[in-house]
Amino acid sequence: MIDTLTDLLAAGVALAVPVLVAASGELVGERSGVLTMSVEGMMLTGAFASVVGATTTGSALVGVACGAAAGLLAGLLQALLSVVVRANQIVTGIAANALALAGTTFGARLLLERGTVVPGFDRLPVPLLADLPVLGPALFQQTGLAYVLLVAVAGLGFLTSRRTTWGITLSAVGEDAASADRAGVPVLRVRFLAVLVVGVLSGLAGTQLALAEVHTFTDNMTAGVGYLAVVAVIAGSWRPVGVAVAALVFGLAQALQFTLPALGVDVPFALLVMLPYVLALLAVGGLVAHSRPPTGLTTPFVRLGRAA
Amino acid sequence: MTSAARAVTTPSTDAAPAPAPAPPSPVRRRPPREEGARDEPRRGHAARLRDLAPVLVPLAAVVGALAVSAGLAALAGAPPAEAAAALWDGMVGTQYAIGSAVNTAAVLLLVATGFLVAHRAGLVNVGGEGQICVGAVAATAVGTGLPPATPAAVALPLVLLAAAAGGAGWAAIAAWLAVRRGVSEVITTLLLNFVGAAVLVLAVHEEALLRQPVTSSETLPQSAPLVEAAHLPLLGLPGSPATVAPVLALVVAGVAALVLHRTGTGVRLAAVGLSRPAAHRLGLGVDRLRFSALTTAGAAAGVAGGVLVASAPHVLDDGLSSGYGFSGLVVGLLARGSLAAAVGVATALGFLVSGGINLQLAAGVPASLTQVAESLVILGVAGTAVWAVRPARARRATPARRRPTPPLPRPEATP
Repeated sequence: MIDTLTDLLAAGVALAVPVLVAASGELVGERSGVLTMSVEGMMLTGAFASVVGATTTGSALVGVACGAAAGLLAGLLQALLSVVVRANQIVTGIAANALALAGTTFGARLLLERGTVVPGFDRLPVPLLADLPVLGPALFQQTGLAYVLLVAVAGLGFLTSRRTTWGITLSAVGEDAASADRAGVPVLRVRFLAVLVVGVLSGLAGTQLALAEVHTFTDNMTAGVGYLAVVAVIAGSWRPVGVAVAALVFGLAQALQFTLPALGVDVPFALLVMLPYVLALLAVGGLVAHSRPPTGLTTPFVRLGRAA
Repeated sequence: MTSAARAVTTPSTDAAPAPAPAPPSPVRRRPPREEGARDEPRRGHAARLRDLAPVLVPLAAVVGALAVSAGLAALAGAPPAEAAAALWDGMVGTQYAIGSAVNTAAVLLLVATGFLVAHRAGLVNVGGEGQICVGAVAATAVGTGLPPATPAAVALPLVLLAAAAGGAGWAAIAAWLAVRRGVSEVITTLLLNFVGAAVLVLAVHEEALLRQPVTSSETLPQSAPLVEAAHLPLLGLPGSPATVAPVLALVVAGVAALVLHRTGTGVRLAAVGLSRPAAHRLGLGVDRLRFSALTTAGAAAGVAGGVLVASAPHVLDDGLSSGYGFSGLVVGLLARGSLAAAVGVATALGFLVSGGINLQLAAGVPASLTQVAESLVILGVAGTAVWAVRPARARRATPARRRPTPPLPRPEATP
């Protein structure tokens, strides 16, 4: 029983890391007032680019750089669409996801060969701490990339908390862009940067998934994890701690897919696959009534009196 | 003006009340808002071009997307001429190709019709895929359970009704959450896609549900075939797999067009879509209208799923809906509220999908190229929407809105 719990927690935390990394980026974006639905596509692009980079150069670190760069490019595209030309954020986000899915599937046919070894990241147990019962393997036996990403996420959380200038600026832009603008805050620049942050972190989340967890690229390998990240932000009421809890729950729900069959529990696989999404539905259905999104979410900013 | 400040304000400079000669910059690409009658005498080629912008700009986006796709095909090792030949052959080369393209178009048109009905009420139904899956599961449950002697006049409507009910029920979850809990239907219908796809997989993998009796280790995870009477009849063209599905889809789209444009219900839906508070003040049952609009969209997508199962090979398997939900959404978005346009776009996309399959078979270009083209078209059209505003609407709306607010002094205008 203890063993099972340990396994479940370890797998759950490992699967929660990509969700958390992407969700904390999405949190920054949404707080600035831009809903980035294309997290899914950015993750997939990042995963694809990291595997291409790692296999062609043989270095996992180059893979990480490629994943982050691809995420940045995807973020740039989304920022141009959402912030600069003020396109419908939901429509372009979903279309960008479709483009990423089709594009990476297309690219995988051309650039990746089946069965090549992908340089990746191995588990890096922290001495002593990793031997703790139950929690040890979950928290202290992750990959090096996961540790770095978790530190980065925590750092981002502090930098954009509601006690720093950056955090207040972010919230001001997301809550009332016109007032922020009058106060001299460069609204469009803040939003543009925020979407770039979403891109980089989503790309890194995809990289983590591809290089540290799955160790290869498969078509549509994110399979909706990016949407879970978007939902984690809603379910976490736009607060970093809430988002982290939501990401952990989604990670655990995904981990059940692997631990329950290993235990010999006879549950149809499809039921386990749908579990995270059912939880996500329950989360948005049950929690949204109690929390409030940033007022300016999905509303593009145009200075008053300038244009329609 | 600093360069940064300029970057911030450029997209809107041309709408300022005193139009200076436009600087040579991206500004020119955007039609300036017209100032009522003041501009009338100056209408020349530029103005006429501006009137055409709603047509020209999306068209340019489509052409651009196709050009990029052609480039990608070349990257995949197919010379443009060969790729074009394979595409053309797959679209209209044989009776078989035409028939299957028309069948695909019918499925897309059904999904798009539902999308447009919901869109009229201000709802974005992204859940076509899940609704197709659940509709198909419901249709299969009825279609395989009917006694073989059922007459077709009973079996076929029953199967399609079950499909509609399945799709509507699936959308009703999202509709209920939107109406009662205020949850964005975009998020819920998206999530329901994943759950719906899993429901389909579950149904075809469990013998207790819809899987055909497992007799050997090679029994595929798919349902037993539907009873003969529940098969969609072919149109009877020689060598063509075209079924009555296109006729059905056209009828559904026609009815939807009538309801949306010629009945009180259509006006009420539009009122809700334009402004919920205003519709509420008019005494309209806003919640009920939104709920029924989204469930209707689900029903239409469900029927699309039913049509897919009731066409050859008449079984349900887990690859049933490969992206029809998204493509239907694409059709709905490109049609911009017009069902007549939806018929045209669905037909075009149906042929493109059909051609894309042949592109893979004949020229070795991965079929995902079709999806690349589709999503590029949507990105292009959505990204240029700002430039494609109908001038007529802008003329009416702009002066009224601008009058009370004189332009703010720009704090950063003086460096």
